[in-house]
Amino acid sequence: MIDTWTDLLPMLPELFLLGMVNLILIAGLFIDERRRGLVHFIATLTLAFAAILTLRDFDIDGRVAVAGGMFIRDGAGDVLKLFVYLTMGIVFVYAKFYLRTHKLFVAEFYTLALFSVLGMCVLISGGNLLTIYLGLELMALSSYALVALDRDSPVAAESAMKYFVLGALASGLLLYGMSILYGVTGSLDLSEIATRLSSGEYPKVVLAFAVVFIVVGIGFKFGAVPFHMWVPDVYQGAPTAITLLLASAPKLAAVGMTFRLLSEGLEPLARDWSQMLGFLALMSLVVGNFAAIAQTNLKRMLAYSTISHVGFVLLGILAGSDDGMAAAMFYAITYALMTTGAFGMIIALSNAGFECERIEDFKGLNQRNPWFAFLMLLILASLAGFPPLVGFFSKLYVLQAAINAGWLWLTVVAVVMAVIGAYYYLRVIKVMYFDEPEHEHALQAPGDVRVVLAANGLLQLLLTFFVGSLTALCVAAWQ
Amino acid sequence: MIPLSWWLTLAALLFCISVAGIFINRKNIIILLMAIELMLLSVNMNFVAFSRYLDDMAGQVFVFFILTVAAAEAAIGLAILVLVFRNRRTINVAELDTMRG
Amino acid sequence: MNYESYLFLALATLLVIAAGAVVTLRNPVHAAMSLVLTFFTSAMLWILLRAEFLGITLVLVYVGAVMVLFLFVVMMLDINVVPLREGFARYLPVGLLVAGIMAAQMVAVLGGHHFGLERYTAPPAVIEGSNTAALGQLLYTGYVYPFEIAAVILLVAIVAAIALTHRRREGVKLQDPGKQTMVRKADRLRVVKMPSDTREGHGA
Repeated sequence: MIDTWTDLLPMLPELFLLGMVNLILIAGLFIDERRRGLVHFIATLTLAFAAILTLRDFDIDGRVAVAGGMFIRDGAGDVLKLFVYLTMGIVFVYAKFYLRTHKLFVAEFYTLALFSVLGMCVLISGGNLLTIYLGLELMALSSYALVALDRDSPVAAESAMKYFVLGALASGLLLYGMSILYGVTGSLDLSEIATRLSSGEYPKVVLAFAVVFIVVGIGFKFGAVPFHMWVPDVYQGAPTAITLLLASAPKLAAVGMTFRLLSEGLEPLARDWSQMLGFLALMSLVVGNFAAIAQTNLKRMLAYSTISHVGFVLLGILAGSDDGMAAAMFYAITYALMTTGAFGMIIALSNAGFECERIEDFKGLNQRNPWFAFLMLLILASLAGFPPLVGFFSKLYVLQAAINAGWLWLTVVAVVMAVIGAYYYLRVIKVMYFDEPEHEHALQAPGDVRVVLAANGLLQLLLTFFVGSLTALCVAAWQ
Repeated sequence: MIPLSWWLTLAALLFCISVAGIFINRKNIIILLMAIELMLLSVNMNFVAFSRYLDDMAGQVFVFFILTVAAAEAAIGLAILVLVFRNRRTINVAELDTMRG
Repeated sequence: MNYESYLFLALATLLVIAAGAVVTLRNPVHAAMSLVLTFFTSAMLWILLRAEFLGITLVLVYVGAVMVLFLFVVMMLDINVVPLREGFARYLPVGLLVAGIMAAQMVAVLGGHHFGLERYTAPPAVIEGSNTAALGQLLYTGYVYPFEIAAVILLVAIVAAIALTHRRREGVKLQDPGKQTMVRKADRLRVVKMPSDTREGHGA
């Protein structure tokens, strides 16, 4: 129940976002193509102001419940949201160049992308089964439409269809689990469910049954094996700017959702769901890394690499402890910053008639442009987890949390898989540095893309100096 | 008096029919979309039944929202279907295999 | 067994048969019509559960709008059905097997043992007040936040459907009333100076 307007203050960033999306929606209709850069500018500004409004009442230990507990504002949620805004800002810069050169520069991109950000915020703050479902759908429905944004591309339409069918199926499974959970506990509120589960006597079989459906739904949304079928096709088929969007910020939202559902709502059933997540993590690590080796298309390779990284995130979550959640969150944040860099590089090297998406296209990049090759080296090495880059530390924290929770064998598997995984990143690096260039496509990336890309690549190195404070932030957020 | 388990069994049967439908109609997207509607209907049946037997309106409110979202979902799904058909002249999933690997 | 139980069994049987028809019928139009029947039967079952508003909404929204949209798309796309049926017979046994096993497991979990009348007794058959009013009261008070999100979701659906399918066609002649009313005399009328006719023999 909302009694007075001041009750809405914790939601201010989301309300601002909603107002601005509507403004952009209307403005987009009247701004003609030549001045569409203005839409981009307003959209970026919206993200910046949403971040400022979030920072204004930022309180790492605070927890405010609005609308009868349906909207939770807390430190962990705020940190996740801030990084969602940041990654989306980076995505917008890369996307503008890509959409311009591919004649897709429409205002709907910004409207739908910001609607999807709004969905992520609702999801991250969801304190009720209902708002989790609605946030998830708001995020997903905008993403389906974004994948199909290139209306004349058969591949994009095809991958949008696959994404849609499997996404809708996942929502159906998740909802079925939610319905059973509601029936058993009699409440939709997650903290109420947790209290009732820990105090009352409920049939174990039925609860485990509900948890299976919920975990399968989460697995689908994360793209964890064996529910990963859509990931490679969607990553490859969607326009690269959209792939970039799908690969980065939604992963942060998925971590938020998993946290709310599993570790807040279903905390008393941690033994059930951590076993299931263990299976998903194991399969994702193995299948993701081995399948990535066989790929020749870089977008598809990065899709399989995403699957293996999801395995690592799940490894943190299944530890069930505060440390585990903090490690998973740190992993997701750093992963989002790496993956934007990798896809950003694909975009920066592409131009109107040429899509730089095969691994061969990176041949001899060092001779063509040593600076870009160096940035790509940093990003790939960070994805592979080489010290002293930030990707190494994020893997380290997740593994530590998993060991502390007694998942030793899974940790060993993860380390072996990380070593195997390094192979396919190294292959790209080898191609960049030791092969002769095959083509001479001029680099057309404009200044803003170059600057952001440089920052994005160097961040892999610079963040290592701030690993301590960043992890401290994550740990503080979960306590 | 009808026991709750009858309702849940009915919903479970609907759910299984929809899963079977997704399984056997892999090639026909339009039937796939209908099977997904069936799955949502089974979830709704669960919620309405629980709402009655728990004497709690929250379940019905949830169904209201699922109906809304499902309508939006159907609109977007059919829009994508139209795009697929315009580009490929078919909605046969088996022919949607441009990407492999 | 009372009257209500018999009604439930009859409707439930009809529902399962109609749902089965949706996923097995050859023609998408027939499948869509079976889905309409499924929704109608469910609506009646929901009314049996005293959820009158939702039952009526299901008919109005689903049968009235969503199914019409489905049929519209089926008709518009003029789909060749034959190739879509390939593999149907091949997947059918496996599909039935999987569904059968799933159904058995689900019924075992959800059956009378955990959800029988001992645990969940139904509230009185007659409920005071209107179901619609009760639902409305909740929607606009406690659930106003999700209500707003649902509105945004519908907006996304509108934006997405238009962005994906609306095309500005080339070569279609349309009226632009704004342009028409803005027309000035100078745009249409050109006053041309002509030398006056000075041929002889024409004068009065």
